[in-house]
Amino acid sequence: MTLQTEMENRDIGNLDNEVILNVKDVVVQFPRPKKKTPFNAVNGVSFELRKGETLGLVGESGSGKSMTALSLLGLVPVPGRIIEGSINLRDRRIDNLPINELRKVRGNDLGMVFQDPMTGLNPVRNIGSQLCESVIRHQNVSKSEALEIAFQALDDVGIPSARDRLEAFPHELSGGLRQRVMIALALINHPEVIIADEATTALDATIQAQILDLFRERLANATMILITHDMGVAAEICDRIAVMYAGRIVETGTIEEVLSSPRHPYTMGLLSAVPRFDIRRPKLVPIPGQPPTAEDIVQGCAFSSRCKFTKENCAERPLLEKRDNRQVACWFPKGEV
Amino acid sequence: MTDKIEKNNQINDNEEVQEDLSQNSTSAGDVETIPVAQQTVRTILRRFAELIFLLLFVSTLLFFLLRLTGDPAAILAGETGDQEQLELIRKQYGFDKPLYIQYGVFLMKMVVFDFGTSLANAQDALGLVLERLPTSFTLVLIAFTANLIISIPLGAWLGSRPDRTGRKLGSTGVFILQGIPGYITGLILIQVFSVELRWLPSIGNQGPESWIMPAITLASFQAPQVIRVISANVSEAMREDYIRTARANGAGFNTLLWKHALKNAMLGATALIGAQVSFLIGGSIITEVIFAWPGLGRLLVTSVTTLDFPVVQAAVFVISVFVYLSITATDLAFIFIDPRLRRQRA
Repeated sequence: MTLQTEMENRDIGNLDNEVILNVKDVVVQFPRPKKKTPFNAVNGVSFELRKGETLGLVGESGSGKSMTALSLLGLVPVPGRIIEGSINLRDRRIDNLPINELRKVRGNDLGMVFQDPMTGLNPVRNIGSQLCESVIRHQNVSKSEALEIAFQALDDVGIPSARDRLEAFPHELSGGLRQRVMIALALINHPEVIIADEATTALDATIQAQILDLFRERLANATMILITHDMGVAAEICDRIAVMYAGRIVETGTIEEVLSSPRHPYTMGLLSAVPRFDIRRPKLVPIPGQPPTAEDIVQGCAFSSRCKFTKENCAERPLLEKRDNRQVACWFPKGEV
Repeated sequence: MTDKIEKNNQINDNEEVQEDLSQNSTSAGDVETIPVAQQTVRTILRRFAELIFLLLFVSTLLFFLLRLTGDPAAILAGETGDQEQLELIRKQYGFDKPLYIQYGVFLMKMVVFDFGTSLANAQDALGLVLERLPTSFTLVLIAFTANLIISIPLGAWLGSRPDRTGRKLGSTGVFILQGIPGYITGLILIQVFSVELRWLPSIGNQGPESWIMPAITLASFQAPQVIRVISANVSEAMREDYIRTARANGAGFNTLLWKHALKNAMLGATALIGAQVSFLIGGSIITEVIFAWPGLGRLLVTSVTTLDFPVVQAAVFVISVFVYLSITATDLAFIFIDPRLRRQRA
């Protein structure tokens, strides 16, 4: 695929496409019996995902991006649960479905690729049986038809001699191949939305590049949420990104806008902490301090203690406000200070 | 950013496939999967070679240990026997010869499975032992089957949601059961079902109804061990990443438990179950004594107390062989359960 067609495929201005996934004010709460206050891992996250669009959820560890993804599938680990907000897949609300309805959504309407391909597949069952299990559950097909679908799925994600791999066990495949199997598993029932949670993080650099290529080629027109802490990965795959900090989205916008002119101080900090080869910089600039932990109850802006622009307003929490095509949750976004 | 995209696009399809393939072969090293049948044969052959050495070692050790325990001629002659009688008996059984000659004769005869005749009743020693085998094996088989039928589902159920109240109570019950020694269980069963209710015979092998209590006694102290191991392994397996993957693909609770977690949990339990079978074969001695069960274990105890050397030797020989068979069976079970063990250096 040439660069040009790729840029066309990415179709940056697809804001007119229909909304597939609508997440509104989702709060994921974990009770803490020993302490009085519960902990909100996700604290009022809203976003829309349009058809054919790839949304990047970026942020550091513990910012709530993975928990946001898990909440979409109703997979928030107990005792955590969604206490507020709504998640709509097209016109259907999916956050309060009964469990057997939810199981029909998982893997069928929403496909998820997890981070670690080494532990994500059952070691004592072969690849074919793990793929078929999902196919037979969601599609009305026989065992042999399911095997054919499984073969096709492996072939589609660029696994060589896919027919033989159906018999293979996970330990017989390399990390890169296993991640391809995980992707095949997520795609096998042609889900409407694909959620990739740090899908390239556990892989080494060359394999990571191959998997990113796979995403670009195979999933160029897919409706996808890509969770990553790697700005480079987000830059290559995403149309839009949402930067998360302490359980909230602090900035959203198209990838070009956010990367070229970040407006939230946290996004600016994140970007200056990323190594780059194209420009010479004296040194990377880490963001001072630590993100708030579960112990800290932050009243105002969660980033204020680490922010170099903090003023007295920051004691009150800024809302995610729409400014042009973008949204920023800051009292003093760059360009307006 | 545009630079980056261009750079990555230069990796074309062919290279990608090649790299993945080479990655595959290097990560697996020079290890490759060999067919299950071939591996099975290899395991059996290796075990068989080991068995011969084991039998030689055990028999030799036993030979000398037994001769430290006392003089069988004195027992045979009884309290009334005089010196002349003793000499006669020793000569008859070859106990008058030097020890190394006795040992040499013993080894040569062992090669053709001749352990001599019982000192007690002049019957063929090996014949006596083999006669007891079916009775013993009936008990072993029933106890083993009962153990698995109870332990696997119960262990899986207890481990699947260890935080639920019902299962907490269940686990506590299993824990208490594990603390009760086999002879207590056996005596309680006899008291209730034989003495009070008169439902079941308390001694000997009088057909299927007399199998019940000994089997329950054996299973009652073996099953809790298996239940606890399976329960712990299942609860650990249910937290694994592959369970989350399956759940994200819509798998329900039963699929997760029975198709994903249990098989992984069985890996750890197989070793324990194998060891338990060895123990059962080696003579569920206490249980056989309590229920006067005419099995191998009781024969062994009687022979040791009467210094019936040939029978002890024959019994230990047969037990060793079957313990080894059960170990081999455990190895084979591992190969069938865990595909990762099917790898061998090519």
